[in-house]
Amino acid sequence: MQTTPISVDGQQKWASLPLSTARTPVRSLYVHIPFCFHKCHYCDFYSFVDSRDRQGVFVDRLIEEFSALARHAGGGAAADAGEADAAPALDTIFVGGGTPSLLRPDLWARLLGALRERFDLSTIDAGRGEFTVECNPETVTAELMATLAAGGVDRVSVGAQSFDQRHLVTLERHHDPENVARALALANDAGIRRRSLDLIYAIPGQTLKEWASDLDRALEADDGLEHMSCYALTYEPNTPMTKRMRRGDFEPADEGLESDMYEHTVRRLREAGFERYEVSNFAKKREAMGNGQWAMGGESSDVTTHGPLPTAHRLPVSLHNLVYWRCGQWLAAGPSASGHIVTEGGGHRWKNVPHLTEWMQGVAASGGYSPIIDHEPPDARRALAERLMMGVRIAEGLCEREMQERAEPLGAAEALQRAAAGQAELGRLSLADARWRLTDAGWLFADGVASELMAALAPGESTGRVAGDSSVRG
Amino acid sequence: MQIRNFSIIAHIDHGKSTLADRLLQSTHAVTDREAREQLLDDMDLERERGITIKASAVTVRHVHNGEEFMLNFIDTPGHVDFSYEVSRALTACEGAVLVVDSTQGVEAQTVANAYLAVENNLELIPVVNKIDLPAANPDDVAMEIEQILGLPAEDCIYASAKTGQGIDKLLAAICEKLPPPRDSIISETRALVFDTEYNDYRGVVVYVRVFDGRLNIGDRIRMMGVGRTYVVTELGKYTPKPTKVQTLGAGETGYLIAAIKALADVRVGDTITLDIEPASEPLPGYEEPKQMVFCDFYPSSSAAGSGGKGADFEQLREAVEKLNLNDASFTFQTVHSEALGFGFRCGFLGLLHMDIVQERLEREGGVEIVQTAPTVNYQILMTTGEIREITNPADLPDPNYYEEIREPIVKMEIIVPKECIGDVMSLCGARRGVYKSQQYISETRQMLIYELPLAEIIYDFHDKLKSMTRGYGTMDYELSGYHKDRLVKVDILINGAPVEALSIIVHRDSAEQRGRALLVRLRKEIDRHQFEIALQAAIGGKVIARETIKSMRKNVTAKCYGGDVTRKRKLLEKQKEGKKRMKSVGNVEIPQEAFMAVLDQGD
Ligand SMILES: Nc1nc2c(ncn2[C@@H]2O[C@H](COP(=O)(O)OP(=O)(O)O)[C@@H](O)[C@H]2O)c(=O)[nH]1
Ligand code: SF4
Repeated sequence: MQTTPISVDGQQKWASLPLSTARTPVRSLYVHIPFCFHKCHYCDFYSFVDSRDRQGVFVDRLIEEFSALARHAGGGAAADAGEADAAPALDTIFVGGGTPSLLRPDLWARLLGALRERFDLSTIDAGRGEFTVECNPETVTAELMATLAAGGVDRVSVGAQSFDQRHLVTLERHHDPENVARALALANDAGIRRRSLDLIYAIPGQTLKEWASDLDRALEADDGLEHMSCYALTYEPNTPMTKRMRRGDFEPADEGLESDMYEHTVRRLREAGFERYEVSNFAKKREAMGNGQWAMGGESSDVTTHGPLPTAHRLPVSLHNLVYWRCGQWLAAGPSASGHIVTEGGGHRWKNVPHLTEWMQGVAASGGYSPIIDHEPPDARRALAERLMMGVRIAEGLCEREMQERAEPLGAAEALQRAAAGQAELGRLSLADARWRLTDAGWLFADGVASELMAALAPGESTGRVAGDSSVRG
Repeated sequence: MQIRNFSIIAHIDHGKSTLADRLLQSTHAVTDREAREQLLDDMDLERERGITIKASAVTVRHVHNGEEFMLNFIDTPGHVDFSYEVSRALTACEGAVLVVDSTQGVEAQTVANAYLAVENNLELIPVVNKIDLPAANPDDVAMEIEQILGLPAEDCIYASAKTGQGIDKLLAAICEKLPPPRDSIISETRALVFDTEYNDYRGVVVYVRVFDGRLNIGDRIRMMGVGRTYVVTELGKYTPKPTKVQTLGAGETGYLIAAIKALADVRVGDTITLDIEPASEPLPGYEEPKQMVFCDFYPSSSAAGSGGKGADFEQLREAVEKLNLNDASFTFQTVHSEALGFGFRCGFLGLLHMDIVQERLEREGGVEIVQTAPTVNYQILMTTGEIREITNPADLPDPNYYEEIREPIVKMEIIVPKECIGDVMSLCGARRGVYKSQQYISETRQMLIYELPLAEIIYDFHDKLKSMTRGYGTMDYELSGYHKDRLVKVDILINGAPVEALSIIVHRDSAEQRGRALLVRLRKEIDRHQFEIALQAAIGGKVIARETIKSMRKNVTAKCYGGDVTRKRKLLEKQKEGKKRMKSVGNVEIPQEAFMAVLDQGD
């Protein structure tokens, strides 16, 4: 089945994965741009400040990787051999980082041109797909926005994080909050209609009131804003932020305060017409949009679903992220980008090597194939665990029948149903309409729900007890 | 041929092992090169067969001034927990080499070991080691030895175990200064067991020192303490390769093999005599090894018992029984706790010993253990006049039934830099220490002697001492007796239900503070649950402190993991696994760390 060699020098390349086994053609692409002009203290993405200017070579390599991806992505045996001829179609593209907006406009123009030459972007051009670029407010210029728009980009996600200079300093994030509105306006002027803002809350020292004011300012920054992502500050291992916290420089936000902030977020955004469709992601209802034509279909989902789809699909959700959250398929380009293809009985997950030089060398040496790490071959149990863990976090939830059908061959159907019932009893999960969805109270416990559901899949758990029960009496 | 039996004693890292190797090597110098290579080959062979080379007693021949000597070098364990074993090894000797690092000087363990040697009437040869180092201060260190141990500074041998400097002098001193073993004083055979070892191939190997009479292959021997008899199948000496001999006579040291199945069947310190013609009295000084700290081991799965002894408990029992065959110095008995189900209450020689046993149970027995905080044993004077010993605070009877609680007291020697004395004295004071005396060691260092309740030092005293003396302070202690004090039991209630494993016995005056500190720690260690948890500390039903753990507000990572699903999945899987090393009390999950919170002194 594997037609491409692992690689010349023994490193596994993504091209060694049998892409032809994908159940349907892969129609999404993630591109990672690793450059930043300063490293934020909370950040654990693969990104760094490039003291030597390697943007040009980087784009050259990226284009080589696009070529290789296009040759393999079409599906069928020809794909494995890297001989697919027709340009494969992409429905969603997401360029993240790092700071993609740091890439110079001329390089952007080349990158976008190359993408268009190698892939069929007609769905995106027709407004039925999605092409997002992450922007840092500081680096947005009219020229850059015009270049992006001309290349087909129809959505920007602007990393505001906070409007309070004090809290930006805590995060060691360098930008002027005033530039957020300006960046959004420039995007709008260039004709990029779909705009999203990222905010961070539960920053040490931040009060509920300050967070509320951040949210208000975000809403004021742009009338046409259709999407918001609000993340609680997460202490990732090995980040300076985490080290500072361990050292006792500051106390992390109290659990109660963080919960209050979250609940306020949901309330405030609902007032402003935004609906929560994922734990931390909110989209503005169509009716509430001034010009709203964003009727998002569920067509690009490659997840088997039964029964009616929930309302999330009429929202300007991030289609690309929804692919992740529904355990769909996507290709990966650039250092540290991860990819996923769905096969019978599971799927392949992999990650391009998170190292610029290694990635560039690997791509150059093999004609576009990045070395990969963390390859996980198909495994039905793992795939279902992932489906549970991601699916529970989205408003549409999980289809009960799909879960049963997938758990049955693992001998875990009963245990899983019992685990779901247990979570329902705790008031965290609703089992109504044959879908498993977090209740209003359940959103704050999504991880707990996910881990209990996932644990039901463990071999030997099939006769297990309901979590939370204990047989020892004190 | 002359015989010398000796040990090397030292504070940890002062160079005991290096010096021992160097001594053996220098004596081998008398044999020719080929013989030496032969020896090494043999040892490799032995190693392949899985036979331990590191012997507890090594015999080498050495020629001094034309006279042949048989030097028996007896190894001693290196840690205070095993001071009982050290003292057994020392009883088998007539002399000891006391090694002191010339860059560090006399430390608490040096003093303690030297005292042990003196108590056993051993002749001491002081060696000032590591003189090759630029920081060496041999003259000052020799003065310290004179000051504190009363051994004349000029008697110190300056040596380097690394370069070999001074080793000849040391060998000469061993031959000249150490007394020969005494002759038999009775005709019946008496041999002291000073160490034992379990070997998969050969079974139990017993190390003996013959004091009276003689042991021969084929003798039926009797262990005087245990009362069992065995037939000797092999006698020998490590030279250092095992060399069989027909007989071991008075004054000699060697090993003995008989069909002994388990280590528990022999006791270090026991006397071996002959079954046909037994000695009437054992050699003096046999004591049972004394367990000083106690704790409970429970199987860790939260599904512990359903009221009965589950499969996990049986697995733990098997592991405990098996390990006890190899290490007879820990004790165990079944316990049942309302809150925690079935487990074992175990006794250990010290904290290090406890850690070793726990680790071996988990590693070799494949069980995961939840361990309660170590405690000491108490003697309870009952109103009936009876003295009852308890090793678990939970077993303390109702106050109406006892007169007083007596706790173990240790005599502690602490050596510290002069400028730290104030801090160390206040530490001892805070731990209910009674100052005994102070001794001058050198310009810069002093020795403090205190009596302290064992319960106050078992856990973090050593760490505290180290940190307040920037690593320079050293300590050593021995049990000196039991004293009564105003002690009370503080009970901990979780949602109204007492959890015995969290009970502590503390001094009345610090009960409130300790109770409060414990609750604060528990609040931090116990995860929030879906409901509020009330924590209370109480003395005889009267609540002295309370805390609440608020119900869990959230359990969600509000971050977009985007495409990197693998990592997130692993985190969530861990979240569930992380719950395993827990015990459920009612419906509250208590992690291992919470049981250790009991040890927090709140200072
Ligand atoms: N420079 C020097 N180092 C020594 C000497 N003797 C021992 N050491 C080192 O001191 C450390 C502790 O020695 P070791 O024999 O293990 O000490 P033990 O704990 O008393 O057995 C080791 O790193 C040895 O290499 C010596 O005479 N000179
Ligand atoms: S801008 Fe984004 S990717 Fe770059 S350091 Fe900051 S958080 Fe990380």
